[in-house]
Amino acid sequence: MDKFNTAHHISGQFDKELESIHTKIIEMGRLVEQQLSLAIQAFTTGNVELAQQVLKQDDLIDSLEQTIDEDCVRTIALRQPAGFDLNLLISIVKVTSELEGIAAKAEGIADITIQLNEMLPADTEQETDNDGQ
Amino acid sequence: MDNSKIAHHISENFNKELEDIRNKVLTMGGLVEEQIEQAVKALTTGDMELAELVIKQDNDVDDLEMEIDAECTQIIALRQPAAFDLRLLLVVLRVINELERIGDLAERIAKMAIYLSNNSEGRLDQYHELEHMAGLVKAMLHSSLDSFARMSIDGITRITGSDAQVDREYASIIRQLITQMMEDPRNITRMLDMLWTVRALERIGDHSRYICEHLIYMVKGEDVRHLTQAELEKKMTSV
Repeated sequence: MDKFNTAHHISGQFDKELESIHTKIIEMGRLVEQQLSLAIQAFTTGNVELAQQVLKQDDLIDSLEQTIDEDCVRTIALRQPAGFDLNLLISIVKVTSELEGIAAKAEGIADITIQLNEMLPADTEQETDNDGQ
Repeated sequence: MDNSKIAHHISENFNKELEDIRNKVLTMGGLVEEQIEQAVKALTTGDMELAELVIKQDNDVDDLEMEIDAECTQIIALRQPAAFDLRLLLVVLRVINELERIGDLAERIAKMAIYLSNNSEGRLDQYHELEHMAGLVKAMLHSSLDSFARMSIDGITRITGSDAQVDREYASIIRQLITQMMEDPRNITRMLDMLWTVRALERIGDHSRYICEHLIYMVKGEDVRHLTQAELEKKMTSV
């Protein structure tokens, strides 16, 4: 994987910190993508259990966001980076906030899936085609 | 204005830079408040010129965001602040992001004002409720900007607490809209436009709440996002 220019610092520790943040944000992005797919799948198939799983996993994303934010702030405070490194860290804080927003939307889709299901008469056939997956 | 939190640096210039950033955020906040006020007025009075003005002025909001954003990044790079100063600057970045989104929502309301007047048959019944809800979210935003100006989080849970009332009003208006859609399907298009408007107001309440959460982080250094109102109140009284 491309290490986005992080491995050039005199301090090897600093390189490691940036790389660890990088790994975490990739993981957060992967989780958010997964949440969105699962939420859409739950919605289109009327799968309430899947929707509930999406709701449960949202906490995981929230706590990853907090961890990454803390890491970034600590790194800015301790390393006092400038130029590219500073822009990178500030951008990461913004990206985590966007990812969290996307995850919250996925959570909203899961919520609606559950609400719609409660409104359905018990004997109604649920929509089971695979549109949108 | 109480300057004790930002006017204590040995470097007079640094004090000035922080003061300048704070004033710009407040200017941006004032502009955004005005945008909501005018967008709602355009909608309820059918004033299309006002709606067009709101749409045009959204660019000013966006420009201010980019300007403040660039200034913050530059100060972090040059001054290498720590502790409260660093949190202040990072929180400014977040607050202006919330303000920019609120600005977008005001623009959306202005666009709905135009759609609604294009296929309008007189005033909608919900205007009174809508104005009341708009009053609530404007008060939330105003109080949160006031907290930012004072750099104080005293009484902040009262502001976040009004979000629940906004949500209740939202649910109540939605119920009325659904009833009207069922009564007369010819209403549906207009009711949907109303729904997007009410939804935008509800989101403005959410973003105002997020501003409060950022301010708590700035003052206490603690991340309080994703807490319920009860958890937040407990946290604020426990320390």
